[in-house]
Amino acid sequence: MSGDETRVRTLDRTLTDEVRESPVDRQERRTRRRLLLLLALVVIVVAIGWLVRRFTADRPVEYADIGEHFKYGSIGAEPGGSLTAPIGGVLPPYWVFKVLPEICPEKLPGGYASLGMLYEPGHDLPVGVSRRWRLGFDQVGLNCAVCHTGTVRETPASRPQLVLGMPANQLDIRRLFGFILDCSLDERLTADNLLGKIAAAGGDLGTLDRALYRLALVNQVKLTTLKLQRRIGILLQDDVTPWGAGRVDTFNPYKSIQFNWPLERLPHDELIGASDYPSLWNQKARAQSLPQAPDGMWLHWDGNNNSVDERNLSASLGAGVTPTTIDHAALKRVRDWAWTLPPPRYPFAVDDALAARGEPLYRQYCSDCHADHHFREGQAVGSRVGTVTPIADIGTDPFRLHSYTSTFAANQYDLYPGSPYRFHHFRKTNGYANQPLDGIWARAPYLHNGSVPTMRDLLEPPEKRPARFYRGYDVYDQKRLGFVSGVAAEKGRSYFLYDTSLPGNGNQGHLFGTQLSPEEKDALVEYLKKF
Amino acid sequence: MANSGKSNRKWIWLIVILILVGVSGYVLWSRLLREEPLVYESSLDNFKYGSIGTEKDGLRVPFWIWLVLPRMFPEYLPGPGGYVSLGFAWEEGKELPIGLPKRTIGQPMVGINCALCHTATVRENRYEKPTIYVGAPAHQFDTQGYFRFLFACASDPRFNADNILTQLAPVYKLGFIDRLLYRYILIPQTKKGLLEFKQSMAWMDSRPAWGRGRIDPFNPAKFRYLGVPMDNSIANTDMESVWNMKTRVDHGYVYHWDGLLHGPLRDVVLSSALGDSVTPKTLPLADLKRVEDWLLNAPVPRYPFPVDQALASRGAPLYQSHCAECHAVGGARTGKVIPITEVGTDRHRLDSWTQEAADHYNAYAANYPWKFNNFQKTNGYTAVLLDGVWLRAPYLHNGSVPTLTELLEPVESRPKQFWAGYDVYDKEKVGFVANGEDAQRFGSELDVNVPGNSNSGHLWGTTLTPDEKRALVEYLKTL
Repeated sequence: MSGDETRVRTLDRTLTDEVRESPVDRQERRTRRRLLLLLALVVIVVAIGWLVRRFTADRPVEYADIGEHFKYGSIGAEPGGSLTAPIGGVLPPYWVFKVLPEICPEKLPGGYASLGMLYEPGHDLPVGVSRRWRLGFDQVGLNCAVCHTGTVRETPASRPQLVLGMPANQLDIRRLFGFILDCSLDERLTADNLLGKIAAAGGDLGTLDRALYRLALVNQVKLTTLKLQRRIGILLQDDVTPWGAGRVDTFNPYKSIQFNWPLERLPHDELIGASDYPSLWNQKARAQSLPQAPDGMWLHWDGNNNSVDERNLSASLGAGVTPTTIDHAALKRVRDWAWTLPPPRYPFAVDDALAARGEPLYRQYCSDCHADHHFREGQAVGSRVGTVTPIADIGTDPFRLHSYTSTFAANQYDLYPGSPYRFHHFRKTNGYANQPLDGIWARAPYLHNGSVPTMRDLLEPPEKRPARFYRGYDVYDQKRLGFVSGVAAEKGRSYFLYDTSLPGNGNQGHLFGTQLSPEEKDALVEYLKKF
Repeated sequence: MANSGKSNRKWIWLIVILILVGVSGYVLWSRLLREEPLVYESSLDNFKYGSIGTEKDGLRVPFWIWLVLPRMFPEYLPGPGGYVSLGFAWEEGKELPIGLPKRTIGQPMVGINCALCHTATVRENRYEKPTIYVGAPAHQFDTQGYFRFLFACASDPRFNADNILTQLAPVYKLGFIDRLLYRYILIPQTKKGLLEFKQSMAWMDSRPAWGRGRIDPFNPAKFRYLGVPMDNSIANTDMESVWNMKTRVDHGYVYHWDGLLHGPLRDVVLSSALGDSVTPKTLPLADLKRVEDWLLNAPVPRYPFPVDQALASRGAPLYQSHCAECHAVGGARTGKVIPITEVGTDRHRLDSWTQEAADHYNAYAANYPWKFNNFQKTNGYTAVLLDGVWLRAPYLHNGSVPTLTELLEPVESRPKQFWAGYDVYDKEKVGFVANGEDAQRFGSELDVNVPGNSNSGHLWGTTLTPDEKRALVEYLKTL
């Protein structure tokens, strides 16, 4: 061994001697080596910088037009935080979201549109779904428009008109969540299948992306889904009254997603709390000081908050933001726009003479609680507008009221902690709020739980209101003021059968005006078209 | 020249190092030790949210850790609802419940104060928002449950910096330095502190649970800091009302269920703060004096539901003849100790306090400007003033009888088992609803056969007719 080494060393010296360089050569070689080293260093630094930028960049797709921003802009509801510990968000990454319906075709035959998500020409994502680069991928999130954009058709043959700020009368968001949870955990969701479907859909993923999909992303999606499933799975079960088209349970998912409450240990009736989406327009008028509500009207169906801004931040949590991933500036754009967004005018003919006969009836029976048609200009007549009527007096279905508990309110006071946004306006009430009726024609079905399809039905005593009807269909019933509620299916898309006998779906209560004559009721309904 | 250059350089280095040490020292001091006073102008707010010193030196948890624990470990809580499931009284819009002061000691720290055990909630039904009564016994609060929740969290291997900071990430963005401090100092230190506290309370584990509305008031003092040898005593007793103390002070009534303390109210307040884990060195005397002053005139809450005045007026003379001697202002025996042989109620609490313990407590503060001289050993239970008695259910010192109506029944007719701590009021029997699905879901079980829980004794009034009992109970609502 030692002999070999000696020989080699000797040989080496000989060789070196033979190719002895001139001092100039040596200098050049050193310089070259240093340059190479420097180049390698630069390459490494650039690569690291590129990777860091790739995985920490936070870039929303931005829209200059406020309407487009409302419909497609990001409020920060895409997953954020860090790649190893993502936070927030309820939707899988952009490409996964796009091809999911093709991975489980039998679970969602008509694609997202069959759930009532709205597609516009020139957009590959539905209204209410935003796109943002976060954690090194194109992500998608929900925004305000998903629950606050509705459609109206005059006849089955008409093109649906999008109405911004209108309750999403057509959207079945529980089925959307159900589908995403179900398909994300489906065994067909594999990297191979996913990458194939993405390529077929025109996705041009690079080598690194494909590697990341294989190594991490698919598992990450399944892991996130499992966590979400564990938290809100119980709300999607059959013994919890389905939310159906145009409704959401605002606060129960919140209890588990924000606070990790073990929902299975709550009294079962507390898990039933679905109610209609509200309209988003004319917020400034709601924030005005009234003698009966000096700091602004009480918002939400049960009047649990009188701060428009806090309510907005709370709703954003529902869309998937967290106090640290929310995009305050983007939300403020929506807030400022909704602040003065005018309620949509009734798009069909109004019989002015008939409406004029309805107005005094309205003043007699309704305006004290609901203001009149001048509310669209910010005028709030009525001594009880924006206050809460106790459940014993209003008599409507109590489930939604009871699902919001004082225990939950106490938990909310620690949301957005350590910031000027910390929640402190929420409160537990004992009834439902008296809301102004601006744009009421577009806010059907009626009552907080959407249990009465049309305004004309609401003026009937409960036993004469429809016991079962369909929701989600957007052809307008001009005579009864509301959506046509007798269509079970059209062009392969089926609508949601609403059963008033299920817990939380009761159509009782709010008997005001039910004693009027049929002619008076018709006149009253006509007047409401002016709101 | 060369020499002076070298020494110059040395000086420069020294200065640089000094500046670095100074700056990092300041940063560490300001983020770990700097005390901010917690000042509440109103003495009521001071009672509810003010500091009695535990945030500095006692049972304390950094706010950011405190905030995420219920989300990390919901399984260690009695039910869904985060901390509220333990029965905290939480006012609208407040960041923390009554009884948990938040004070900056470098970082925001959550401690405990007197209001924790002396604030009650009351509702007419499950769906209502609770009304909060400050100064009342916290019949709905599970003190031991709060301790055990914190202990269980700290004992769990998941209580570590990675998990806690991950859980905090969606809630609050800690700065870089704070993140380091939490990771390497605050989280490990909090875990260690809680585990030490757990160790000092390990004696609880071999004894029956306190349950909602009750604490073991003096064994923590005996075993944690008075150096009384370990015994097997059980002292689970109801928390007490603390309002209207002036009447008690003026008449020289004894304090605590067995009257183990007499004399100045200050001794009650100081010893209670010590019992709440404050150390004698850091006892904030001025803050505690404010608490004491508030207690003197704290208002007695009126019965919030309708009272049948005619019926109550029929009960008044019965009260005079059967109860007033021991329970009314001016009664010959009010505020005095009634021998156990006479009152006949469960004796565990009485026996848990000994002459030795009294001696230890009287000697405990010998080296401090405040001293204790008035601890004593008695032979029975105090005949307490019944102001606001409607809100002091369940009854007897150990909370073994859920309602006043049942207290007027002979022992064999009183409930053998019920659920304590549910805050829906029972206007019929006068007390809290103690049975049924909701009481069971929220309350803690009280079984009178468990040692310390006996519902025997105090037979006064049990021989009245049913009509007389109804009248008497109606009258008691007015106290």
